[in-house]
Amino acid sequence: MAKPSIRLEGISLCYRLAKQRVPSLKEYAIHFLRGSLSYEKLWALRDIDLTIERGETLGIIGRNGAGKSTLLKVISRVLKPTLGTARIDGRIAPILELGSGFDYELTGLENIYLNALLLGHTKREIDAKVDEIVDFSGLGDFIRSPLRNYSSGMQARLGFSIATAWVPDILILDEVLSVGDATFTSRCEQRIGSFHSSGATVLIVSHATLAITKNCTRCIWLDDGEMKADGDALDVVNRYLREHGTEPGEHAGGRLPSAS
Amino acid sequence: MLEIYRYRDLVFALVARELKVRYRRSAIGFAWTMLQPLLTMLVLQVVFSSLFRFKLEEGTNNYPVYALSGILFWNFFSQSIVSSMNSLKGNSPILRKLPVPKEVFPLATVISGVINLVLALLPLFLILLVTHHPMGPSLLFLPVSILLAALFTLGAGLLLSPLAVFFSDVVELVGVLLSILMYLTPIFYPMEILKNSRYRPLVRFNPVRSILEVFRDPIFRGKVPPLSHLSVSLGIAVAALLLGIYAFRRSSDRIPFYI
Repeated sequence: MAKPSIRLEGISLCYRLAKQRVPSLKEYAIHFLRGSLSYEKLWALRDIDLTIERGETLGIIGRNGAGKSTLLKVISRVLKPTLGTARIDGRIAPILELGSGFDYELTGLENIYLNALLLGHTKREIDAKVDEIVDFSGLGDFIRSPLRNYSSGMQARLGFSIATAWVPDILILDEVLSVGDATFTSRCEQRIGSFHSSGATVLIVSHATLAITKNCTRCIWLDDGEMKADGDALDVVNRYLREHGTEPGEHAGGRLPSAS
Repeated sequence: MLEIYRYRDLVFALVARELKVRYRRSAIGFAWTMLQPLLTMLVLQVVFSSLFRFKLEEGTNNYPVYALSGILFWNFFSQSIVSSMNSLKGNSPILRKLPVPKEVFPLATVISGVINLVLALLPLFLILLVTHHPMGPSLLFLPVSILLAALFTLGAGLLLSPLAVFFSDVVELVGVLLSILMYLTPIFYPMEILKNSRYRPLVRFNPVRSILEVFRDPIFRGKVPPLSHLSVSLGIAVAALLLGIYAFRRSSDRIPFYI
């Protein structure tokens, strides 16, 4: 196989001021003069090594605050890791949470342009794809209505349709599959499948473990910023469910597989 | 820089959105851009020409044109800086989630500031006509003046906008500093009144004054700025821009952590 799509070596990421932030220059000056500038360090990722080959579909699971989203932000080059090196090869289509970069006063159509521009496409590229995006989103006439009238499912559909209109080298899905309705979810899965066969790397974060086992071959489990497990998706998910399966709310939207 | 070029369509879209927000809100929105400097000029005209009398410069004594050209420049400069500082914060959901080159936001702000400045030139030309101010070919030099002002302002915006993310009181602090700077720039008073003042060097060596005079020369004095002055101003603008780019690059990676 060619060189890996994503290679993370010893990635650690520290939110230095996450807890005690010095919000103003005045306070900063006061603290500085008193010599009382202290930072609470919060390590969101600790020494993560991860190599993802081209064309792999990787699931990422873990409890809230385990570092899943932070890891995705490192991979999508939003956050620069405190330590370690991240080598990411190719064009990324990130869908991090609902409606990143949407403007709620603009219509769906205008948001297609704004969002795709934010993802790094040119206007000409968007012109060529806009009909297909509208079509795939299945939003119909709603596309001419301002985004504030959209339900969260509709926003997710629009976001997914935009990000996947171009075949990316790496597709990142953070809690997107669990929002749309069943029909749309299955269309999403079809599209992910077609990306997979065209050689794209797909990363999926979901609390719905079913979405992981269905779409992924490999899965990693993050716990408190550390890599707790890395292996076959079904194995890792089952181990995870054995430990956390009884916690309420942790598998919202997914039905527990009867395994284990 | 290459990356910015790849995102040029995004910059245009952000500029269009900013202008739309500004001019859509009210029918008078567009007129207001032109009226506000005119009204300020009228007030200054009353205050300065009837209360404190002073002679402007050899040759021309057209105070409205002098003041209005200063006000237009200052509005562009100060408003662009304040909006650049708010531009990163205002787009925090994007900066937290998408790998966009962050420079596009201050850049789009300054570009829309330039467009507003160009629109505000219309009432200025009206005043030129009404006051029978000589209008010569020197006006064709204005695009260069505006470009210089834009580079300088972009530099200042790039320098200050990350600070506004790291410290929430910087916007207020800069607001105070801007009002001090306004009085240190000969916007509505001529340099002559400082003849015997100990503040004269402060005004004389104020880099903003340099950039302002490059803008004012073709309008008020009807001449292209002398080459010596022009090269100093170009040097100031380029230095400000390079400093801004350097500072922005250095703090760029930390912005998503604080926003």
